[in-house]
Amino acid sequence: MSLLPACEWLAHSWLGVSLRQSSWAFALIEMVHLASLALLGGCLLVAALRVFGWALTARGIAAIARGLAPLAAVSLLMLIASGLLLFADGPLRYYANGAFRTKLLLFAAALAGAVVTRRLAQLTPPAAAASMRLKTSAALTLALWLGVGIAGRVIGVL
Amino acid sequence: MDSLPLHFCQWLAASWVGTSIRESDNLFSVIETAHVLGIVVTAGLIAIVDLRLLGILLSGSPASDVIRPLVKLTWCGFTWMLASGFLLFWSEADRLYANPVFRAKLVLLVILGLNQLVFHRTAYRRIAEWDLNPTAPRTARLTAGLSLVGWLAVIALGRAIAYL
Repeated sequence: MSLLPACEWLAHSWLGVSLRQSSWAFALIEMVHLASLALLGGCLLVAALRVFGWALTARGIAAIARGLAPLAAVSLLMLIASGLLLFADGPLRYYANGAFRTKLLLFAAALAGAVVTRRLAQLTPPAAAASMRLKTSAALTLALWLGVGIAGRVIGVL
Repeated sequence: MDSLPLHFCQWLAASWVGTSIRESDNLFSVIETAHVLGIVVTAGLIAIVDLRLLGILLSGSPASDVIRPLVKLTWCGFTWMLASGFLLFWSEADRLYANPVFRAKLVLLVILGLNQLVFHRTAYRRIAEWDLNPTAPRTARLTAGLSLVGWLAVIALGRAIAYL
């Protein structure tokens, strides 16, 4: 099954057409996308630092994971919403873009990594250090997110 | 004279480094990616500290436990951002010199630096008194709010530079 017809529909939809016709919408949405990226990046970084025992050690891993969850969720939703709007500006352009496809795959993997890391963090007893599995999962997830960011930048270059 | 900095910027852009970055196929994009990464680390960590001071995030953790371990990494991110930002500026110094958005971004960064200094000279000195409170004292909340809004504006201005 190809997603091409759906991309064509989106490109000609009211949303796609309005976005392309506006001279400032793309830049504005890009700003929101970047700001959300910084917020999510901060959450992921702090979470990884806590897992490795390098920061915020006054409370347990599960408590910090719970404490960061609201900001992580809000920034992730903002990233996805602004990302969808950026996509709607030129679905056919992105459909054929190799970096965009790579980014989506990396994004799916990073999201799965985040879910696994969060679950392992929640299962960590209050005073315990992170298990090897949790550390590996946290480091791998952070690396995947870095890949998502880099692929995102490459989209604009291709 | 006003023209001295302009001449310096023109000299920078015409220099070997400036020309190499500008004329390379990928160098500018690569440095730009590094620059964005530096901003994500810097602004992301600062935002988490600001939200803790405002009592919005991690209010169960002592404020010092959120602030202290993140200071070094925030400085690393900031240095990284500044260094990569300077390389980007180097390649377009002549055009950026007169760009009002670029100037506004620099002024805002200086204001954010002073804002940080105010926090460290006031509320942070007495952190032992309010370390466990879910929200920081009024001065700290004020500087944290300004910092949060200011860094979001730095990101927005940075993106706007590319369009002007």
